[in-house]
Amino acid sequence: MSVKITDYNSPNTPTWCPGCGNYAIHASLKKTLSELNISPSELFMSFDIGCNGNGADMINTYAFKGLHGRSIPLAVGAHLANRRMTTIADIGDGGCFHEGLDHLVHAIRSNYNITILIHNNANFALTTGQATVSTPKRKPMYGLPEGIPERNLDVPEFILSLDPSFYARAYSGNLIQMGEIFKSAIENKGCSVVEILQLCPSYNKEFTPQWANENIKEIKEVENYNADSLENARDIVVNNSPLYTGIIYRNKNLPTFYDSLDSRKNSLTELVDEVKVHDIKKLLKYFE
Amino acid sequence: MQTQRVSVKFTGASGEGINTIGVLLLRALKKHGLRVFGYREYPSLIKGGVASYQVDFSSKELNSSSRYCNILLAFTSRSLNEYLKDVKENGIIVYDQKDINLTEEQRLYIEKRNISSVFLDSESIALETGGIKIMSNVVMLGFLWRILGLKVETLIEVVLKHFKNKNVDLKAEENCIRAGYTSATFRPEYAKKINTPQKEILSNNNGYVMTGNNAIALGAISAGVRAYYAYPMTPATSIFEYMGENAKETGILVKQAENEITAVQMAMGSMYMGTRALVATSGGGFDLMSETISCAGMSETPLVVILSQRGGASTGLPTWTGASDLNLALKAGHGEFPRAVIATSDAQTAYTLIQKALNIAETYQLPVILLMEKQISESVFNFKKMPRVEKIERGLVEKAEDITQRYQITDTGISPRWIPSKEKKPYLANSDEHSENGSSIEDSEGTIAMANKRLRKLETLAKDLPEPTLYGDRNPDLVFVGWGSVKNAVLDAISSFTKINEIDKNNKINKNNGKVGYLHYEYIHPLKTKILEQLIEQNKRLVLVENNQTGQLGNYIKENIGYEFNEKLLKYDGRPFFVEDILDFLKN
Repeated sequence: MSVKITDYNSPNTPTWCPGCGNYAIHASLKKTLSELNISPSELFMSFDIGCNGNGADMINTYAFKGLHGRSIPLAVGAHLANRRMTTIADIGDGGCFHEGLDHLVHAIRSNYNITILIHNNANFALTTGQATVSTPKRKPMYGLPEGIPERNLDVPEFILSLDPSFYARAYSGNLIQMGEIFKSAIENKGCSVVEILQLCPSYNKEFTPQWANENIKEIKEVENYNADSLENARDIVVNNSPLYTGIIYRNKNLPTFYDSLDSRKNSLTELVDEVKVHDIKKLLKYFE
Repeated sequence: MQTQRVSVKFTGASGEGINTIGVLLLRALKKHGLRVFGYREYPSLIKGGVASYQVDFSSKELNSSSRYCNILLAFTSRSLNEYLKDVKENGIIVYDQKDINLTEEQRLYIEKRNISSVFLDSESIALETGGIKIMSNVVMLGFLWRILGLKVETLIEVVLKHFKNKNVDLKAEENCIRAGYTSATFRPEYAKKINTPQKEILSNNNGYVMTGNNAIALGAISAGVRAYYAYPMTPATSIFEYMGENAKETGILVKQAENEITAVQMAMGSMYMGTRALVATSGGGFDLMSETISCAGMSETPLVVILSQRGGASTGLPTWTGASDLNLALKAGHGEFPRAVIATSDAQTAYTLIQKALNIAETYQLPVILLMEKQISESVFNFKKMPRVEKIERGLVEKAEDITQRYQITDTGISPRWIPSKEKKPYLANSDEHSENGSSIEDSEGTIAMANKRLRKLETLAKDLPEPTLYGDRNPDLVFVGWGSVKNAVLDAISSFTKINEIDKNNKINKNNGKVGYLHYEYIHPLKTKILEQLIEQNKRLVLVENNQTGQLGNYIKENIGYEFNEKLLKYDGRPFFVEDILDFLKN
């Protein structure tokens, strides 16, 4: 039986602002999942706290709305327990690059077979507009009328410095490309990082669809772009004019964390299948 | 008079095999048929400093140390100075460094107390025998074994078994043990000073020797823990070591996480998904985990965290013991939610209680904090039989008609929980306040209904938990009340005190202290108070014993039933209760 997009619909009414990028992100994700024929019972999503996290109520699946900054390790724990489940960690730029930056670094380094969706709207929106590493310098923000005094974090350069298995940049106003990126990210065996440039009409008013149309280009417009080259990827993200969206980089040669574990090499089951009394007689010999 | 207990202490620079030699002695004594207990002290550094390993042995079960030793074997001058005053009258000091020079004061001290001071040139003996310098350790061990008057073959067997798979010249090891054993330095008067106890029974097998951390790992493996998420912190770290070293055998997924926050989040994710996962840490690491404890409470996700305590606040005394994190276990995490707090006291209870903790966490869908202490985690306990394997209880629903709403309001407070799978209905686990189907809510009525449902689980759990155990005299005059490792010193003291009481004809002992009991709390939260309240009603003399500064269990009891302990025996110097701490209290 094929999975329908409506299978993912939850009974709850969205609470996002009119024009919020989350509507498109959710629609695109649900569409992709149904096209991949992944049913709501074959998916696990962890959610951060923030506007993206409020999406936990908007999708019918095995989901866990956890703590701010922690959606990545929560997803990793779930993934390692049962790899039959497709696993997605959903997080905002505040949670990802502030509260839980360490988790992103180590998830990429460990290369768990999960997908990380970073909703980058360049601010902490649910707490009404505080600055993040992506907020333009000197832009007045909540509590900081002069804007942030320090430098931004260059997200693509930072992620590429970790040599990820998969890094793509999407734009919430481009549903079709976003869906294609989600599909590739989910299908990629390894840690797939998708940064979504997300419209936030309430607190990032400068980032309008008009601005996006003028400044964002799809990577396919770059002739002979080779996403297998880290050098190419770095070159393309260094100059942000235009901003390229699409699969920026993939490293197909990285083994996943789980496949690298000696203790799990020959096991045909998942950890969730193995909860029973285990005989420790052999181990006890040492203590006799 | 037959000596009840003999104590032997090795001391030297840390990082030079003091722990290994202590464990070898302990294993050999057990092999011989004695009951043993091993206690280590060491500084928080890798090389240098003073470390010690004390083995107490007896013909009867014992689970604590004496503050003093009958024989001190010192490998450095500094360590000899450090522990000289712990040697009992008529004891023996053996040292093996030519440059150890006792001060005049130390000489007088030794003479006055009739302590024999023996120089054994173990390094020369090792080299002459064809061994290498480090084998001076087993020369000392052989010499000690001669003083104890035991068969050298038993010691050789244990030592060779230990070094079997290591890159060591086994023949040279054996020769060095024999050379120490037959050394001309030995005098029969040394042996006369030490009354090595008789074997317990006519058996050469006295069960198992293991640390509390070994035992808790074994219990977890037995109970079907399939993922262990680690971040190093003394004294919990050796659980990670054991899990990692045996991962190929057990198939357990062992992951060293980037920090404690990650480790516990991973554990919660794995538990949500339906396997059994575990984390262990000490106070500082537990602080970082506390947001997740709250999240597990709210989302009703089973979670077990082992909290092995050490001395002091903040970094405190990293390699020393204490029991000052009960408040932390009871109160950590924001908001109000149900939890269980359970305390181990030795290796056997660690083995059993980890299994119970996992069952409670899954059945009642709440976080369980399982307390240990450095004294439990790293001391070596000796016991006859492994406790029985607990049946795995998970409280899962399987039938389609039972799979209703994940947070369904029920009388017991326990809602249906099922393992996520393709065939079953998906649900949202929510750290926001939520309705029965998991959707976020903010309304007053729904909030109260769900908050009440969650706390009802605590009442249900309290009904299912046992009362604390009353040990010792059935009709005691004095009852100690405690938790954790204090049980070991108190019970060892009660057993030897009862004997002293029987033979003491000089009426030195306060008659009121004649019959002693001990009320031991294993399940601390939710608190069971029936037996305690009976003892209060009967006007028993109650003495709170805790390895902390403020009497945290006592305060928690007061918070619950208003009773205040008049007498408190508290110790917070990083050391465990020694058997004399309790005996001295009883004699005064």
